[in-house]
Amino acid sequence: MHPEGWKMMKWAEDHDGFTTTVEMVRTALAESIPVSERAYLQILNPRERKRLIELGGEDVVVGRSPECDIRFAVGNVSRRHARIFFYNEEFMIEDLDSTNGLFINGVKVLRCALRNNDQIAMGDVMLLFNEEKRLQPR
Amino acid sequence: MNPSGRTRTLVTFWGTRGSISTPGRITEKYGGNTPCVTISHNDTTIIIDAGTGIRNLGLELLREANGKGSPLTLHLFLSHTHWDHIQGLPFFQPAYRESTRLTIYGSSKKERFLASVLKGQMDYEYFPVAMTALTADIRIQEMTAEKVRLGPIEIDWEEQVYHPAGSLRYGFNIDGKRIVFATDIELDLLFGKRNKTYEDAVHAEQYLNFIEGADLLIADGQFTGEEYPERIGWGHSSIPVVLKAASRARVKQLAIFHHDPQHSDKFLDEIWMKHRIRNGVDHPGMDLFWAREGMTVAI
Repeated sequence: MHPEGWKMMKWAEDHDGFTTTVEMVRTALAESIPVSERAYLQILNPRERKRLIELGGEDVVVGRSPECDIRFAVGNVSRRHARIFFYNEEFMIEDLDSTNGLFINGVKVLRCALRNNDQIAMGDVMLLFNEEKRLQPR
Repeated sequence: MNPSGRTRTLVTFWGTRGSISTPGRITEKYGGNTPCVTISHNDTTIIIDAGTGIRNLGLELLREANGKGSPLTLHLFLSHTHWDHIQGLPFFQPAYRESTRLTIYGSSKKERFLASVLKGQMDYEYFPVAMTALTADIRIQEMTAEKVRLGPIEIDWEEQVYHPAGSLRYGFNIDGKRIVFATDIELDLLFGKRNKTYEDAVHAEQYLNFIEGADLLIADGQFTGEEYPERIGWGHSSIPVVLKAASRARVKQLAIFHHDPQHSDKFLDEIWMKHRIRNGVDHPGMDLFWAREGMTVAI
């Protein structure tokens, strides 16, 4: 729950003002929006080293080339395969004109807003996108 | 909009929800905005329907236009004028810019002229800003000619049956590819009935001809097969019937669209998994996906 919500619940216990408080909590929640607190990629391929890749505000390029931020030495991954970026309060992924395409949950896309538990496939590489959100006052 | 700079036709979903917008955590994956789709090819942008999804599209178009410093020339094709397909128009920011040229296309078979229907939703009793306050150069064109050509894109269309007050389906033909937008139609009444009338058989044939071989069909799949019997006459289709018709017409890729407002992400994921597995066996030549807000596919 929103921190303001807890504060108000506490106030309710102390002041026996439950009905008013419910309304106040409702208002506080309505005035909050979920924002990304933490986002990361998990590598699902059994052959790859298990690791979490934290995502932040910086663009991340995934591909085979050594210059990529996330590199996979896999033949059917393009040199620069896809880019993940934070735009308009959400994480997006786009295909960088790769040879074998970019798939989200099995659907071939050019660009897609990422959602928690989306499976990203590039050639034989499979990643899982995770996002934790918290409520923040508007 | 195209990362590679290569000429491609891009289809982006800005709103995929049917009937009413459904904001909230349980719908954020497939999206809560009502219908709005764009087709972009080079400098030509076509918008289909003006549901609440058009608001975000408007903001994005302005961001891009401000970056380039260029005026916007836009073409909006309306399938029909039910609220969920026009409600975003008063919030479409490019319509408030003098330099924007916006042509709105729609059915000529309205009881009232299309312009007056659109003005009606901006009546002072419903909305504080009148349509005359939209300072863009707006032209409203009722569909009369068989085909419309916009640069490299040729658009054909047909009136649809079995949706209250009717609707239009559109075909967009670009560089040998065909994208069909055919939502808000109750296909179960065309294909699911045992005793078809002659008219139904004709309409069914026309529908199949229209979608024949489409590279992408964006189709109304609001209900599951189990839900449909309780919703007969609502003007929307059940997913199994859409799948069968699309497969029969050798559609290459099918996007299930106009999601029911009661369907959460979890529920849509479940029915997608069920149909996806079955589709691979029953209709192996056809890719199937559930349209999702914020998704762009290249055709």
